[in-house]
Amino acid sequence: MKRIALVLTALVAAMTASAQIQFGEKGGYMTIGLESNNILYVNDAKLGTTYPSKFGSNDYLKLDYVNGRFSVGVQGEAYLPALQGYNDLRNNGFDKPKVMLASKYIQWQDTNYSVLVGDVYDQFGNGLIFRSFEDRQLGINSSIEGARVTAMFGNYVAVKALFGRPRLYSSSNNYSAGWIGSQYARSTVGGADISLSLSDMFGSEELMLSIEGSYINRRERTDRKIKDLYIDLVDPSGEVSSTMYILQDIYGLKTPHLNMYSARMNLDYKGFSLRGEYAGKSNDVIVGSVYSDVHLMQGLPDVTKAGSAALIELGYNVGNFSISAQMRRLEMMGTQLSVYGNIGVMGNTLNYLPALTRQQTYMLASLNPYQMNAEGELALQADVYYTLRSKQSRQRYWNFHANFSTAYTLKEYQTASKKRELLWREIDVDVERQWNKQWKSTLMFARQEWNTSHGQGAYIPSTTYASNIFVGDVMYKINKKFSLRMEAQYLLSNDYEGDWVAGLVEFNIAPHWSVFFSDMYNLEATEANGFNKKNYYNGGLSFTHSRTRVQVSYGRNRAGFVCSGGVCRYQPAYTGVNLMLTTSF
Amino acid sequence: MNKLLCLAVALVASLTVSAQQLPDVKVENEAGKMISTSSLVGKPMIISYWSLACKPCIQELNAMNDALEEWREEADFEIVAVSVDDVRLKARAKAKATSMGWDFVCLFDANQAMKRAMNVSLTPQSFVVDAEGNIVFSHSGYTPGSEQLLFEKLLETIKK
Repeated sequence: MKRIALVLTALVAAMTASAQIQFGEKGGYMTIGLESNNILYVNDAKLGTTYPSKFGSNDYLKLDYVNGRFSVGVQGEAYLPALQGYNDLRNNGFDKPKVMLASKYIQWQDTNYSVLVGDVYDQFGNGLIFRSFEDRQLGINSSIEGARVTAMFGNYVAVKALFGRPRLYSSSNNYSAGWIGSQYARSTVGGADISLSLSDMFGSEELMLSIEGSYINRRERTDRKIKDLYIDLVDPSGEVSSTMYILQDIYGLKTPHLNMYSARMNLDYKGFSLRGEYAGKSNDVIVGSVYSDVHLMQGLPDVTKAGSAALIELGYNVGNFSISAQMRRLEMMGTQLSVYGNIGVMGNTLNYLPALTRQQTYMLASLNPYQMNAEGELALQADVYYTLRSKQSRQRYWNFHANFSTAYTLKEYQTASKKRELLWREIDVDVERQWNKQWKSTLMFARQEWNTSHGQGAYIPSTTYASNIFVGDVMYKINKKFSLRMEAQYLLSNDYEGDWVAGLVEFNIAPHWSVFFSDMYNLEATEANGFNKKNYYNGGLSFTHSRTRVQVSYGRNRAGFVCSGGVCRYQPAYTGVNLMLTTSF
Repeated sequence: MNKLLCLAVALVASLTVSAQQLPDVKVENEAGKMISTSSLVGKPMIISYWSLACKPCIQELNAMNDALEEWREEADFEIVAVSVDDVRLKARAKAKATSMGWDFVCLFDANQAMKRAMNVSLTPQSFVVDAEGNIVFSHSGYTPGSEQLLFEKLLETIKK
């Protein structure tokens, strides 16, 4: 704690000095951003929830100083302790109050080059082989502590290279003894990315064409001992027949180097776009996959495999009409920051493979989100948008949107039927109508189908569940200050938890106040909900002034997946008071 | 410990810094080309962060788009809509922006470099930036009608 305070003080002192020196014509400036999420957990007999700690608080303080081309910054984080559901953190010692210096950087950015030393956030192409990013909602921070250099040559060649060690919260299950509580993986990651704009090279104005390539290397010693790593061997009846412990031998990995590469092409011409990427990776540990379980049951401990991915994206935008489609094939592409890190832990991911589905915002449409299957998946999604705007008034329009997404297994061993099976299918249509300055309405229908086995092996029952979701959303702007918004939703299903109904009322006083109440009720008692119909209510108030926003709410929250950008974190059910503060200055 | 914290606070308080400026970051434009945010400076602007999953963000952009004709009669300025949707949703964000007929400069900040540089925690967040690139006002959240506050702050900037 003292060390952190000292580091912060030293940095602030350095910033002050720089600010007073006035490097550039305008001098420097500093920005401070604070985000604080706090929950006071309340016992709830209906949910049957108990809490190891009654209070949780995730807090982030970010300070940046910029002076012309020079910038420096730090991010401090406090977990007092970490909120329930942030298991990467809670299993790594953050179930007790802790404060830490989470990231720092110093950067020089010139017109054609930049140098950054500190924690690097970056992405190569579509992220198929590399993405380091922060998502506070998910509790992910996979920044690379090291350095990055970028350079531009002749306006048509862009190059970047980076090297460092990844941030990773290791937890007690799998990691080597003595490494619990660390913030960093013991691997190193290095890579480079090059982009060549052919259209800029040949001076084309209408056609934009570029080719790109990336390379990533992860290096990690293969001779470390692993603590308590085991694999349950399951017999055909679904019972655990024995447990296999694997120590020291890192599953037959022959080299400390993992190599990944990708090649890309981007083309844009008069509203039409075509993008493609192919990625490959060398042999990597695949423990936790269905393939490795099948392999280990045959007594073969050598479980490494190479992976590949392909992505194609098509788009056409003209006037008020747009269409976009993406297709993706994944095979053994799940890649860990550290082979010793926990399997399936969200933060232990070197690349970015989000689910190709629509990210739903309505309560009932986001009850059962699809989760990507990195072991083997064929996925497709398509969107169509069209807006019909009144020629007399900008305040009157129709907006039509349709989305289709689907995913299938890739390999026969992923399913009991030994055939390709549907993992997910969703079709939804929404129509938005701005009637005049006061009234706006939205109607949405979504049909979602998902496979209960999730392609997780032959021993998991495979059934397709289906839900039909109906949503009505109306907003009435009473005057320039007051407005009211209401949602009514119904989920119709013969499967899983049966039917649901939900509603929301929101009253706003511009520009400061908003009050809301929502309720979500499971109408049927089924095996999936423990024959217990539950009511999930939530009410709250928010106040905004300039850059400061405070929200207080109280409610009962369903267990489920919290998703952000196609990546999901499991959030256990809880009832409690939530206080959220964000500010920056 | 407390002394150190007091010292840190005192140092922050004693900072002699000038107005916050629009940071110079590389970000993708509608045509799929990487541009520097410094190339936007020259006209006053409202910068508004949004994502497909952020309903109030889209409400705010639609409200500004509806009012744009009236506003432009009073001031020469730009609206810059910055999508923070990740790479999976970027194509869809472009499709949405085009189909809605937003008369804005649309930027796509898929790995959130611009968002991080402007210290944005949550969306919606909007900034008013003057013709010299100084950030003169910022507002978090959206309630129907609060877009008017952004325009008033923009007009104040122009009149100064």
